[in-house]
Amino acid sequence: MTEPKHVLDYSYYPGCSLHASAKEYDESTQRLFRTLNIGLQEVPDWLCCGATPAHNVDELLSLSLCAKNLELASGVEGDLAVACAACFSRLKTTQHKLETDTEKRRQVEFAIDGPFPKGKRVKHLLEILARDYGLERLGAAVKKPLSGLKVACYYGCLLTRPPEVPELDCIEAPTIMEKVIEAAGAETVSWSHRLECCGANFTLSRPGVVLKLSADILASARDAGANCIMVACPLCHGNLDIRQQEIEEASGEHFGLPVFYMTQLLALAVGVRESKLGLDSMIVDPKPLLKDKGLL
Amino acid sequence: MNLDFVRKVEKLSGTSVRRCFQCGKCSAGCPMRSFMEHPPNRVVRLLQLGQYERVLAGRSIWYCASCETCSTRCPNKVDLAAIMDALRKCSWDAQGPSKESFVQLANRIFIENIRTYGRQYEMRLAAVFNVKSGQFLKDIMLGPSLLAKGKLKMFHQKNRNIHEIEKIFGRIEELRRKGGAL
Repeated sequence: MTEPKHVLDYSYYPGCSLHASAKEYDESTQRLFRTLNIGLQEVPDWLCCGATPAHNVDELLSLSLCAKNLELASGVEGDLAVACAACFSRLKTTQHKLETDTEKRRQVEFAIDGPFPKGKRVKHLLEILARDYGLERLGAAVKKPLSGLKVACYYGCLLTRPPEVPELDCIEAPTIMEKVIEAAGAETVSWSHRLECCGANFTLSRPGVVLKLSADILASARDAGANCIMVACPLCHGNLDIRQQEIEEASGEHFGLPVFYMTQLLALAVGVRESKLGLDSMIVDPKPLLKDKGLL
Repeated sequence: MNLDFVRKVEKLSGTSVRRCFQCGKCSAGCPMRSFMEHPPNRVVRLLQLGQYERVLAGRSIWYCASCETCSTRCPNKVDLAAIMDALRKCSWDAQGPSKESFVQLANRIFIENIRTYGRQYEMRLAAVFNVKSGQFLKDIMLGPSLLAKGKLKMFHQKNRNIHEIEKIFGRIEELRRKGGAL
């Protein structure tokens, strides 16, 4: 008898951003899970979930792309771990719609030329860390408690939605992000804009929208006394981090808030080397804060 | 009053337009309301009154961020985010005189990228958008730092299963030609 290699095993759907603009999310996720001895096996040949643009104008395309991904994922053992909040929401929505609407399922099955694969549990990384792995075990794995960090946990729109599939947490007052990062020794702040929209994919077509909505979010986090923001979505990260300087210029306010992926902070806490956290990819430099708190 | 359009939207969205009793909770929570000429509850009211052309010609549907706050909070379980999807599809299919061409252009390039590459090619998405929207210098200041941080990939490989992906697009077009598809 050989010991099982990992304590938990998952199939993994990183999503497009994690191979480009959010590569530090992918890198820190892989490092964190390896340290916790959780297996992640990437789904071969996965494709774009369609994100907002596909369902915006063509629901059948959106459902078919997600169904194709679920079909590809069914070839890999374990529940499907998803990193991006938007991919997570689209995959869950697709499962819900295809299980409840036979006409939509019939059309999607024609489009993907095969039966809609049922039974794959789709889980966001947060759910895996907080529930499957467990907060206690996570706390026990912490080597460097994140004391001194006052974290504004930013959920954005899609982590807890759609409302008919509220499996991650309470749809209006979730606490899962706070619990996870408090287990790693950080302090969290209570603030108003946790679930407000950052402007999402208007960053391409109408960046003015992002400048306004994300300014409100940054101001709310700062005014609540946070010294950093934690996210679990590449688009939220892009808007709050990449555009932060531009937002400061447009609003005349100063924020200076590093925006971390939750896996970067957790990986730091469980002892992953600094050079493997993807800190250099962040636009708002987090190193002064981390050094100030004795975390680097 | 002709209810055909309302029925079409209800079929596409899988939710009831007629059940809305105009409490306004959707508009109260909508992060995008200040960018819309018709706030979300009025979009539904206009549909109920048969004035859908005003909705389709306006920019409200294209300024919806799909954040689903409205659907989450509706006390009468109207899935307004799904209604917005259905309305955009109607406008998109009709190539209607929408005021919001930039959002439509971004959607079009995004979907083209999936068909061509399988996965999203962020660099091309931004570059083609700038060229086609005539805003050659948009976000140009972000470029060097994103490149330096390794966040912009210049080259992008196509998926190995790109032919299967093309077939999905093809079959959807086939369904549409036959009529009756979503």
